[in-house]
Amino acid sequence: MQGFRRTRHGFEAKLDGVERSVISQVVADTALLLGHDVADGPGAQDPVVSADGLLEWAALEQDDIVTPVDPALARLLPSARREDDDVAREFRRLTESEVRSQKARRLAIVWRTLRESGSTVAVDAGEALEWAGALTDVRLVLAERLGVEDEEDAEAVHALAEGASRGESVNGVDEVDQTLATLYAALSWLQETLMGAMLAASPRGGRDD
Amino acid sequence: MAQASATPTPVGETDEAVWEATSADRPWRTVVWNDPVNLMSYVTYVFQSYFGYSRPKAERLMRQVHEEGRSIVSHGPRERMEVDVQAMHSFGLWATLSQDGE
Repeated sequence: MQGFRRTRHGFEAKLDGVERSVISQVVADTALLLGHDVADGPGAQDPVVSADGLLEWAALEQDDIVTPVDPALARLLPSARREDDDVAREFRRLTESEVRSQKARRLAIVWRTLRESGSTVAVDAGEALEWAGALTDVRLVLAERLGVEDEEDAEAVHALAEGASRGESVNGVDEVDQTLATLYAALSWLQETLMGAMLAASPRGGRDD
Repeated sequence: MAQASATPTPVGETDEAVWEATSADRPWRTVVWNDPVNLMSYVTYVFQSYFGYSRPKAERLMRQVHEEGRSIVSHGPRERMEVDVQAMHSFGLWATLSQDGE
């Protein structure tokens, strides 16, 4: 894997076939969690119920939109107001569907690009922030699954990933967690290279108030 | 103009009547909270890109989130703060609607 660097039209990274496959899978899974199918493309507005009917949320009435039970989904769709449950509920009722769609649209862009790319993954300048947002959401889900709640937990995940890369296995940690940790660390690194390139390419001016 | 909602204290009890402002008067703001996943570089970029802040201002706000646990990133009418909070959520940041005095 070679991290993102700036190109004439945007940014470019190098990912081999396995890396592209694994990343697109977890990108697709994240979209599914949000009730969308990446294969529908970024223009799809309506969530899809999977063939075996697991995605029941699509059938929910508006009034049933409550804080997601799945903690990973709850992190992607957090509460907007801590002081007032009524306001938080109303905010969720009015905005959640759109936030889900926006996130799914970004994930679909990443998924499609990865699927259409060879080892060179090119991201157009105009889509760079979409990529950054999509990578963030995937990482949020992975971190939640790994039980990351604070900076210390995050550091432990990175340490676990480093250990896994050296072929170490840790007592009490199963292979799934090691795999998730490795993926989380890799995507964090990849996104960091993208952000570095994006910041370097963007102007420093703007409002100070 | 401020509009009092509480009953004013009767004349003679205190020199200064204490008026309780209606909740509608207290300004609204968007608060972004720290989390262990978001990259500082990403948070800086989002603040600069979405709010149009300068790089130094965006970095200042990001550092405040990181070091103090939270930062007020915008303020204004409630309707606009709701849009900002939604945008922050869309970008994967945790943000809440807040009022001055909370």
